[in-house]
Amino acid sequence: MNIRPLLSLFALALLPSALCAQPVPPPPAANQAIDTASGAWEGIVNIDVSVLVPDYREPWNAGQPSGGSGTGFLIGKNRFLTNAHVVSNATRILIRTTNDPEPHPAKIVHIAHDCDLALIEAEDGSHFEKLKPLDFGGIPQLNTEVIAIGYPIGGDRISVTRGVVSRIDFRPYSHTSVDSHLAIQVDAAINPGNSGGPVLQEGKVVGVAFQGFSGRVAQNVGYMIPVPVIKRFLKDIEDGRYDHYVDLAASDFPIENPAQAKALGTNGDGVGVMVGDVEPQGSVGDLLKIGDVILSIDENPVMNNGLVRFEGELMDMNEIVERKFAGDTIRLKYMRDGKKLEATVTLKRFDPYVRLGAQYNQRPRYIVNAGLVFQPLDRNLMDAHQMRDDTVNYVFDNFLTDKLYVERPEPVVLTNVLPDEVNTWITPYAHSIVDEINGVKIKSLKDVETALAKKDKPFIEIILLEKNRPLVLKRELAEDAHKRIMQTYNILEDSYLGDE
Amino acid sequence: MKLSQILLFLTLGAATLPAQTPAPEAPAKKRAPAAPEGAAVQQQVVQSNSLVKVNATSQPYSLHMPWQKESPSGRRGLGVVLAGNRVLVTAQMVADATYIELELPTTGQKMPAKVLAVDYEANLALLESAPSDKQKAFFAGLKPMAVDVGARIEDKVDILQTGRVGELIKSELKIGKVLTRRYNVEGSGFLVYEANNIVRSEANSFTLPVVKGGKLVGLLLSYDSKNQVTTILPAPIIEHFLKDVADGSYEGFPSLGMELQTTLDEQFREYLGLKPDAPGVLISMVLKGGSAEKVGMKKGDILVAINGFAIDSRGDYKDPQFGALSSSHLVRGRAYVGDKVEIKVIRDGKEVMLKGELTRRMPDDYLVLPYLFDKGPRYVLMGGLLFQELSRPYLDAFGEEQRGGAILRLSRIATHPDKYEEEGRKKLVFLSLVLPTPSAQGYDKLGGQVVNKVNGKAIHDLNDLETAFKSAKDTTHVIELDDFPHILYLDTFSAERDNMRLLGGAYRIGSLKRLE
Repeated sequence: MNIRPLLSLFALALLPSALCAQPVPPPPAANQAIDTASGAWEGIVNIDVSVLVPDYREPWNAGQPSGGSGTGFLIGKNRFLTNAHVVSNATRILIRTTNDPEPHPAKIVHIAHDCDLALIEAEDGSHFEKLKPLDFGGIPQLNTEVIAIGYPIGGDRISVTRGVVSRIDFRPYSHTSVDSHLAIQVDAAINPGNSGGPVLQEGKVVGVAFQGFSGRVAQNVGYMIPVPVIKRFLKDIEDGRYDHYVDLAASDFPIENPAQAKALGTNGDGVGVMVGDVEPQGSVGDLLKIGDVILSIDENPVMNNGLVRFEGELMDMNEIVERKFAGDTIRLKYMRDGKKLEATVTLKRFDPYVRLGAQYNQRPRYIVNAGLVFQPLDRNLMDAHQMRDDTVNYVFDNFLTDKLYVERPEPVVLTNVLPDEVNTWITPYAHSIVDEINGVKIKSLKDVETALAKKDKPFIEIILLEKNRPLVLKRELAEDAHKRIMQTYNILEDSYLGDE
Repeated sequence: MKLSQILLFLTLGAATLPAQTPAPEAPAKKRAPAAPEGAAVQQQVVQSNSLVKVNATSQPYSLHMPWQKESPSGRRGLGVVLAGNRVLVTAQMVADATYIELELPTTGQKMPAKVLAVDYEANLALLESAPSDKQKAFFAGLKPMAVDVGARIEDKVDILQTGRVGELIKSELKIGKVLTRRYNVEGSGFLVYEANNIVRSEANSFTLPVVKGGKLVGLLLSYDSKNQVTTILPAPIIEHFLKDVADGSYEGFPSLGMELQTTLDEQFREYLGLKPDAPGVLISMVLKGGSAEKVGMKKGDILVAINGFAIDSRGDYKDPQFGALSSSHLVRGRAYVGDKVEIKVIRDGKEVMLKGELTRRMPDDYLVLPYLFDKGPRYVLMGGLLFQELSRPYLDAFGEEQRGGAILRLSRIATHPDKYEEEGRKKLVFLSLVLPTPSAQGYDKLGGQVVNKVNGKAIHDLNDLETAFKSAKDTTHVIELDDFPHILYLDTFSAERDNMRLLGGAYRIGSLKRLE
């Protein structure tokens, strides 16, 4: 992950549900003609998904049914790799091969939203036993030819498009919109439905097609997830669960200014990038300070723009951290006040940023009390409610930049007041951040439950952040109204706090 | 100029009026209202003798490149002649004016004029022309109009406009509501008359007089052609302004500087310990340096009376002339700066009588300037880094879609300045723009960062910044910011060299600072 702010994202996710129809280029020259009947690509399957999109406005409801399709491919015994976004929020997954119309129900084994990869398996794997899994290659060279195979829009059967490797770079992954990893740009046509499909070079998988730009923004720009990211995912799940990426959780600022270079003590050889921000709860929170200069990571010199030469390519220095796992260490050389220092850093996850991105496969959490709906602040909530309140927007936008997560790891929003006699005067206060309830500081949704259970006073007293009047409900009236409101507004459960 | 431009102009101020929707087109041309009344010539001649056309050219400073000005534009309105050959218009009419002239509606004779007094909060300005023979001749045929503060709800009034050759065009309206509302800049509410009917669209639009029986009852504030709702800046506020001007020193309109919460909610009343039918509202915020704070009001007080007028649970009092009206008018409209005020509150269950003097919080008393007219934004340029003091107009210049990131952060400081004021800041200094210079190499994408310190010195306003730039150590300026990347370095020599290059260079910079 790269938490540098101000990254604008234009990448269009290849959502399974057909988007705009783009013309598919003519088939490639027949120099590598493939007989689909021979079964060489039989392991590349169409994935048909039924989806239930959670409803963050009425979190007690089932959500919106939807569906779409993508591609996946066999990488081991009854193991199919695809994109996380193809199978996110799925209620039913069906696999079909290009020559067999029979749908085979499948389920998710592991899903990694932060790198948009998922592993699925057929419920009955016997149909796929004879198929040959695809093998992985490495990072392809620039300007070498690749083919993308999958089931994009424009027809039902398998499709092949051809192109070259255009660029290798650290890019935002649009599935969550807050994660950035290594990505390889190709000019082979990658269209909605290609998602999750393999990109091959000399018969080996060199990437998983996953996102592109809208034709209005750029032409012939498709991205694939390269092998190092795939391998990392597969290694991470070896222990039976996916542990998420680790992160330095520091933002770098280039050293391009001569006065800055002089003041920071770099000698103008182009080595060293300035630390512009450090997350106190991140891996280097206790080590680095703003104004430090990172000189090298694991003996790879860091350039003044934050790049390192790694495996023959110039890459973002975060790529070195990216390849590692929680508990792994890196060797960091840095400079402070002109003195060179060294440290070994144990890497860990940095969770606060997760709520700033889209989240999937989660039932929305909420508490309803006397018609007041409380929900944790995250991207899904912001998108669903279209919050206009300045305080809510400020807290969301500056959750990391102003380190608001330190005091309030899970801000809770009063998202709605379901009108009733008991709360009719406080309905205008929906879309406010809850600061305190019954004297309890609200740092997570769980705190709301704890606070509401306090019954020592005749009033429920809710203090909102930056609103100058407390909301008060007479306890006995609120308790009576609660049952009535639950019934009237057809709410079966008055809270869902998660599975733990 | 179409009448709808009145509304457009309202948005140029620091704030827009909430309930108004600017209409794309002026109301359909309807000949009816003017024609039949054209017969009643007798009375109209008297009225037109008290009106002059006012033409003003306005040229605001650029907020983003504050060393230059925006393109000039013209405004036309109809001023009211008052005693002493003075002409009353709205402040909008003359905001950022570079040239103002008066024009006789009938003969077209013109006369340059200057602003004698202006209050942008009350949206009023008084013009006069330098005494001369020409000036005497110009005003010879004009008669001052009297101000009538007696208008009430249900009264019929006329909005006056003049046609091409000075003929009078009247639109009759009925005052339907009297309320308080903020005019065109940030601040607490003023009295407003609201009236309904169609208003014809004519050439002059920025100021239109509203009269009743030949006397001035107000000036048109805005017209919403979609809903045919007119808001009128009323005579009581005009009278207040004129009296204040007449005593030689202009103090402006006082305000209490507090926020109140209604107590209509029975559960809330019980929580506050208020009896079911007792009057009063909760004071939820007291502004630092405002009258309320100086008088001794505290957050949590229940306000029950101001100057003997009981305040009900909506925060209204019974006005003898207008009926239920926001308590803010008791101070803002009915009292003057320096007047004694008596405020009764309930504190800890006991009635407390607070006494003191009313004051006005001046625009400069705010951390973030609420409005800025007639002068350029203050700035300091150093080696291509442009520093400014945050103002409402600067923030309002950004569209809704640009409100994320730095602008959202700065806007929030404008609405919640307490923390920054407690740090001793008088103004909020921020890096607004980086011009591409060698000394600012690497910084060109920055903008919107609040400045905390320069060369180790805390920055409370731009003057501090200018002083701090004189005390660099080791030929390097160190600029500490509140936001990413938190620290910038600038070479003193190359910054000075860039300063010299910027003067008169491609960016047409005439001065490296404006601190007046």
